[in-house]
Amino acid sequence: MNTLKRRTGQPPRWADRLLEWFCAPHLLEEVQGDLYERFERNTTRLGPKLAQRQYAWEVVSFLRPFALKRKQNEYSSLPLFSIDMFQNYLKIALRNLARNKAYSAINIIGLSIGLAAAMLIMLYTKDEVSYDRFHANNPSIYRITSRDITPAGIVEHQQPYTGLFPGPKFHAGVPEIMSFVRYRENRKDLKLGNEVKSQTVFFADTSFFSVFTFPLLSGNPKIVLQAPHSVVISEDMAEKSFGTTNVIGKTLLFKEDDKFEPYTVTGVAKNCPQNSSIKFDVLMPMVVKGEDMANNENWFSVFMNTFVILSPNASPKVVEAKMNQVYLADARESIKLMAKKFGVQDKTEYALQPFTDMHLSKELPASNGLVDESNPTFSYILSGIALFILLIACINFVNLTVARSLKRAKEIGVRKVVGGARTQLIIQFLGESFILCFAAFAFALILLELALPTFNQLANKALALSYLFDTQLIIYYLTLFIVTSLLAGFYPALVLSGYNPVQTLYSRFNLSGKNYLQKSLVVLQFTLASFLIIASLTIYSQFNYLTSKDLGYDDKNLVVVDKSNLKRSEVKLLKEELLKDQNIIDVAPKNGGFWGTVAKINGDTQLSFAYETVNETFLPLFKIPVMKGRNFSKSFPSDSTQSVLVNETFVKKAGWKNPIGQVVDFWLDSTKYNVIGVVRDYHFASLSQEIKPELFTMKPGNAYAKAFIKIKPNTETASLQHIETVFKKLFPLSPYSYKFMDQENLKRYESEAKWKQMMLFGAILTIFISCIGLFGLATLSAERRTKEIGIRKVLGASITGIVQLLSTDFLKLVSLSFIFAFPAAWYAMDEWLKNYPYRINLSVWVFLLTAAIAISIAFLTVSWQSLRAAMINPIKSLKTE
Amino acid sequence: MKRTYLGEFEEIVLLTVAVLNDAAYGVAITDELDRQTGRSVSISAVHAALHRLEEKGMLSSHMGDATAERGGRRKRLFTVTALGSRALHDIRAMRDQLWNSISPNALPAISI
Repeated sequence: MNTLKRRTGQPPRWADRLLEWFCAPHLLEEVQGDLYERFERNTTRLGPKLAQRQYAWEVVSFLRPFALKRKQNEYSSLPLFSIDMFQNYLKIALRNLARNKAYSAINIIGLSIGLAAAMLIMLYTKDEVSYDRFHANNPSIYRITSRDITPAGIVEHQQPYTGLFPGPKFHAGVPEIMSFVRYRENRKDLKLGNEVKSQTVFFADTSFFSVFTFPLLSGNPKIVLQAPHSVVISEDMAEKSFGTTNVIGKTLLFKEDDKFEPYTVTGVAKNCPQNSSIKFDVLMPMVVKGEDMANNENWFSVFMNTFVILSPNASPKVVEAKMNQVYLADARESIKLMAKKFGVQDKTEYALQPFTDMHLSKELPASNGLVDESNPTFSYILSGIALFILLIACINFVNLTVARSLKRAKEIGVRKVVGGARTQLIIQFLGESFILCFAAFAFALILLELALPTFNQLANKALALSYLFDTQLIIYYLTLFIVTSLLAGFYPALVLSGYNPVQTLYSRFNLSGKNYLQKSLVVLQFTLASFLIIASLTIYSQFNYLTSKDLGYDDKNLVVVDKSNLKRSEVKLLKEELLKDQNIIDVAPKNGGFWGTVAKINGDTQLSFAYETVNETFLPLFKIPVMKGRNFSKSFPSDSTQSVLVNETFVKKAGWKNPIGQVVDFWLDSTKYNVIGVVRDYHFASLSQEIKPELFTMKPGNAYAKAFIKIKPNTETASLQHIETVFKKLFPLSPYSYKFMDQENLKRYESEAKWKQMMLFGAILTIFISCIGLFGLATLSAERRTKEIGIRKVLGASITGIVQLLSTDFLKLVSLSFIFAFPAAWYAMDEWLKNYPYRINLSVWVFLLTAAIAISIAFLTVSWQSLRAAMINPIKSLKTE
Repeated sequence: MKRTYLGEFEEIVLLTVAVLNDAAYGVAITDELDRQTGRSVSISAVHAALHRLEEKGMLSSHMGDATAERGGRRKRLFTVTALGSRALHDIRAMRDQLWNSISPNALPAISI
């Protein structure tokens, strides 16, 4: 009866497990015995349910220190870190590395590539994050930004720039704003000796050197920007212009209203740090005319950056609110005026952006005189690739170590038999992985040094290995080192140390199990590799598409020459002079930069469009066809004041059935124009933007700023010479520089070109590391099956048969990886392509090609080993025992 | 008079071990405590006390027989050591001494 009850009423299993887990082993027997005895009695007294509850409760009540505390081993326990054992571990590890050169090489090469990639990205991100942090006034420096809010309360547009007013007016009206500085970029012609060149200059308020930390080599930072014709130049600039940095009081000639004026050098600044959004060579005081400050409408002209310093305890939110109060009070009249004049309904709100947030901001980028704006996505993608590579290298390590462990099984068995504890074995194997990682780490540093120049070029950076000597980075790298060693070494250490000594010593031990882990790791590796192959193929073809797509105009043999304020008479003169050389086909002037404006069509509808000022030669020169109506013509003198041409998108947006003769009303300056022709759409901007409405005018008031010169093919040298001579003769005071249109067009896709290269590198590296891992595994499997192959051969198997036998296993895994890689890659690439209005379709071919590449590379890797194994004379493999 | 400090519960457990003589182990001690003092104590508290007493050297223990209702597990049987016995005697002597020092009418009567 007793036994029967025992079967029906057992104590709850979980409670038993719990007890066995936490209770110290030397107490377990008596404690559990006592509990069972009481349980038995309770079952008869109270019934099984209550007895079980009681049992559980009692188990829990044993969670006391005395029951948890483990008894010290009565034998003196082996010290985990004894020097003798360490020497032994080191010796064995080195012997193993030396004996298995191929595996050591695979592991070290793979890991060092992975580590180098990870270190590179750390350098990169560190640099990205460190932008603008060197200013002593951080974090109190802010940039004034603004946003337009529609009557419905939606933020329509964010504006990182400001005009003349916000700086001084907010400084005066908000006590928390300690000081402000306005900063803007411009170009001025600089005369050095007889040479005139166009120099980028920056204007800033006097407070510039007290707001920002740019040390001066000479000059008093408080007053260098006070006198109107003073200039602060950088070390570089001083060296370039005067050959020395001791240049205080010397003068530079800058063009102002057609004549060169002397500017006195009042200060020389150290070159701006590489990780600065503000980089200047020439800095001049910002001179604002009194009439500009008096014109209240200037609240609405926005063209530069304004920075402020807040008092240390000020809350940005409070300051923002005060700023907007100041704005609303000061600009009330002009807000009303604008609303009346232009029908502006949006509200403007001013805000503050921390100075250090600018560099990586997508919505409010560091531009308009600030440099190096950066897309954080790029950092993410790079980190992703680096992690992929490192992960794949670690997988190699795990796979190879576990697969190779068969050879070391005896060693493990012997160690255990003579009293090696599992912890000691774990320490030994972890130590080995540390040694390997250390070698890889040293190697990675060399690789890093070698790769940095190329990477700098790709990523547009000036990183140096000397950056490494920075405590924070060293800590990061050490962490990376330790994490990698643990990641790579922990699993093998755990598995190897768990071998049963009896099995290993009787040679009954094998790893012939399903080995799911190894297989799934191989699949993971090839999933990542295929993903990257697809990504780089797609980016590649999109890039090719962008660079080879018909832009709708002919950009071949087109030279662009800049000349600010190019007058109509000068155009005529230039053309006459240039055409004297028969290599020059035609000349067409155009406005500089990108202009845009708004006009009313169909009576009262507003349409914004690109606004191009050209003449009648422009369209024929670019071979842009006029679809309807006619081009501007000399035979219609009224064209310049009455007529415009528009592109097809303009017509579509306007909804015109009969575009010819329609009226475009420039109500801002109350002029009206008739449409005389429709131009076929062409990509006047980069292909990453959709074609927008475009309008061509010849309006005499609009200045030209560049000339397009069409030359005959293959006459570049002669033509350029002629152009230069003519230009210098006609405009001796203007800087001369030329560009080729087709090269300029290519430059628009620089970021895509970078992506392409990065992805390609990533894909090649991942494939390479995956393949050396596969190579190692194939070698091991061929070795393990030497006897089997021998017997098969003796029985008449062909070499092809054996190669097939050995390769199919791996090829299956590679094929399996496509199942995971393809959908992921398809999704990711589809999302990426959505960034482009003009894009390729993701084709099946990319995927097929990827599959072909991955399989053939894997096959080549594996078959080499398989072939070798299959070619061995069976006598050799069967004789040895 | 110097001696190892014994808590009240420890003292009672030590006494119970003495009471049970050769058959003192966790369950038996718990039951005996229940019967003699009427307080229901948890088995884990008894184990903790036994453990502490053994550490103090007042109890010694050895593993006894296995029984079926314990799932084949052995009992740990406790006996009072000389030190334990000395401690019990000391406590008793001290109490007696204190009782003897109480003047006859100092305590309020507890019965009629």
